[in-house]
Amino acid sequence: MRFRHERLDNGLDVIAEVTDGAVSTSVGFFVKTGSRDETDALWGASHFLEHMVFKGTADLSGDEINRRFDWMGAAANAFTSEEDTVYHAAVLPEQQQEAVSLLARMMRPALRTEDFDTEKLVILEEIRMYDDQPPFGADDRCRAAFFAGHPLARSVLGTIDSITALDVDAMRDYHDRRYAPGNIVLAATGAVDFAGLVEAARRQCGDWEPRENPPRTGAPLPRPPDGRSSVATITRPSATLEYAVRMTAGPDGTEDDRFPAKLLAMILGDDSGSRLYWALVDSGAAEHASLHHHDFLDAGLFATQLSCDAADVEGLLARIADLYSGVARGGVAAAELEQARNKLAGRVVLAGERPRRRLFGVGLEWAHGDRYRSVADDLAIVEGIGLDDVHRVLDRWPLHGPAATVLAGPHPATSPGHFL
Amino acid sequence: MKQTLLSATLDNGVVLLGESLPGLESVAVAFHAPAGAVHDGPGRCGLATLSGEMMLRGAGRRSSREIVEALEGAGVQWSQSVSASHVSFAGAMVARQLPEALPIYADILRRPRLAADELENARQMVLQNLAGTEDDPAHRTLSALRQLHYPSPWGMPSEGISAEVEPLDLQAVRSFVAAHVRPGGAIIAIAGRIDWDDFVHRVAALFGDWEPGAPPPVRPGTRGPRVRHVPHDSQQTHMALAWSAPPYRSDESYEATAGLAILGGGTSARLFTEVRERRGLCYSVSAGYQTLRDHAAAVCHAGTTAARAQETLDVILAEIGRLPGTITAEELDRVKARAKSGLVMQQESSAARAGALARQWYHLGGVRTLAEELDRYDRLTVGSIEAWLAANPVRDLSVVSLGREPLEVPHALSA
Repeated sequence: MRFRHERLDNGLDVIAEVTDGAVSTSVGFFVKTGSRDETDALWGASHFLEHMVFKGTADLSGDEINRRFDWMGAAANAFTSEEDTVYHAAVLPEQQQEAVSLLARMMRPALRTEDFDTEKLVILEEIRMYDDQPPFGADDRCRAAFFAGHPLARSVLGTIDSITALDVDAMRDYHDRRYAPGNIVLAATGAVDFAGLVEAARRQCGDWEPRENPPRTGAPLPRPPDGRSSVATITRPSATLEYAVRMTAGPDGTEDDRFPAKLLAMILGDDSGSRLYWALVDSGAAEHASLHHHDFLDAGLFATQLSCDAADVEGLLARIADLYSGVARGGVAAAELEQARNKLAGRVVLAGERPRRRLFGVGLEWAHGDRYRSVADDLAIVEGIGLDDVHRVLDRWPLHGPAATVLAGPHPATSPGHFL
Repeated sequence: MKQTLLSATLDNGVVLLGESLPGLESVAVAFHAPAGAVHDGPGRCGLATLSGEMMLRGAGRRSSREIVEALEGAGVQWSQSVSASHVSFAGAMVARQLPEALPIYADILRRPRLAADELENARQMVLQNLAGTEDDPAHRTLSALRQLHYPSPWGMPSEGISAEVEPLDLQAVRSFVAAHVRPGGAIIAIAGRIDWDDFVHRVAALFGDWEPGAPPPVRPGTRGPRVRHVPHDSQQTHMALAWSAPPYRSDESYEATAGLAILGGGTSARLFTEVRERRGLCYSVSAGYQTLRDHAAAVCHAGTTAARAQETLDVILAEIGRLPGTITAEELDRVKARAKSGLVMQQESSAARAGALARQWYHLGGVRTLAEELDRYDRLTVGSIEAWLAANPVRDLSVVSLGREPLEVPHALSA
């Protein structure tokens, strides 16, 4: 694997991790924009815009874009998060230039009013679809409580009201500001022809006008550890299970502690073989119990997720709090650390074999800070994490500390709250 | 592309399949035993799933916890599942870990403890999973559709039915495992960075003295009603439709697969274009091909706001009706391109290839090479698909709706 990087005169970064002999090529445009870059009036615009990018350019219809991707045999899609909007396609190597050119043209969408009005209906359906599914909005609501007052509090999809009120001119202005070349990374992995990639980027993106990119971070971060715990509920009387999401602070995306934080989450709350698994899932006390670490540009969090019978939710949240207090006192064992390290190393190797999986790691790392790590670098990091690193994370970011918790479901008979 | 496919059969009937993918560091192995949910038996829906869960909870000298710790300590990404036809245990890992992992799987398949003190935990886990599926509208819709479309027991939910899981006892689990987790019909598939001779040697040592035997055949029973509404308190109404298609081993399955892909396979397919892009009726709508060994189905699924659900169903039905006689060469080219690149890209995943080898053996009693599959796609023509559509008109449609209000299904289609 070789890493390549070139920056066009207008600021667009072109990067690639080239694997000779790979079967496929994955390419993606990583736009450094997401829900955190919106205002209340633009709530949901990043994700809505991601859909509109597939609706055509001045000289390509949306149908034509769909036909071209299918004709290339591309596995093409896009996603939007709090911080990123990513458009990606996995193709056979001979289709690389076609795929890059099409994605590049799409980055300058027509944003026609008629398409905007039709696609608005699709976005509203997407919001309703997720609202009908577990955890019934508990995750978004919990992030809103955890980040109250901060740009990361906004959900990616927006709300029925914010999307209904959104105006196409506001979206056009948002696109003009946020899809500037200095705010975009073109990344590729697998069997990449890097010279071809740069040539296609120059041809398709070379005339994109630079814009000034204002800083994305800097808003003071409300830290629940400084404040109080909160509990909120979303009532779904007909739900079969109760769903709980609990967030506490963790290391952000610039801190080296984010790596041991992920290993700690694996030890305590991976989907199998973790402490939460053996305490709650193995016995069938809970349908699901997990802990994950998420990092953002300037913030990080640990998210605990639980689903179980509504009557048991208070007791099980209390057991989880006890488990976290216990690990804060007693630490983790060397054998647990070793198992988690091997597990994580296995995942890194397997994910590294698939260019379409690698694309996201490579592209997002660069988008978040002009960083590149090879699979070997990742393995060295995993290998180097020691007990002291994990215990430092436990110390700095107490899992049993103040938390934002949201419950969604039929709810227990008594009101939740006292267990925190 | 050069492809190395390997196979061997042990004296007791266990089939070994392999594919060397030399570009990879990993190896994936999948064990399939013929103990699927079709063998649950009347009133015991969920027995295979409970038994599969019990097999992981202690085997040979290892406890439940020691099995997981041994696999994860070796960096194995493991999984267990129960389908209509099989109980499956799989693992993907860095190739050097294989010798450590194989004996653990041999214990799970041949020496599960099936201990009394694990039964209640295993049962609770199965029941929790069932409760979780109750909250998933798409899962419930498609599960109900399978029950309408396939003859019993092929359409029964493999995850079980709560009321039938609750009374299952240890004896039922032990008898089930003894009768169905047998070498006859068992498949062990491996793909990735493999040393085939070493693998066959190790597997023969671990499984060669497994006493022969195969589960009894399953007799198909009756089908459910053709149309069903599932009341569910949701904003969206889900709808799913199924009609008969040829099973995978039939040569015509390629025509069926391609015809369905033109209807609802990609973002340029007709359903996505007409239902979502043109009308904004829903976020996701698709059609595709599903197969068991002797039965298969064309399946469409969509979910949308209750007020627009009838229109969505009407548009889907109109597109199904419009398909015969209108397929274009451009549509077929796109379907071929998608199928080919999908097949080629499968070579990047040892787990995907191990799964595909085992699936093909189950359906065909053999494994098709990549070249054979690509060639079969090349031989598809507009004429061959149209001929298949003309000979197999859509009728006897199964339709499920899930939501606050039922939908109207034209009588002619569901009669």
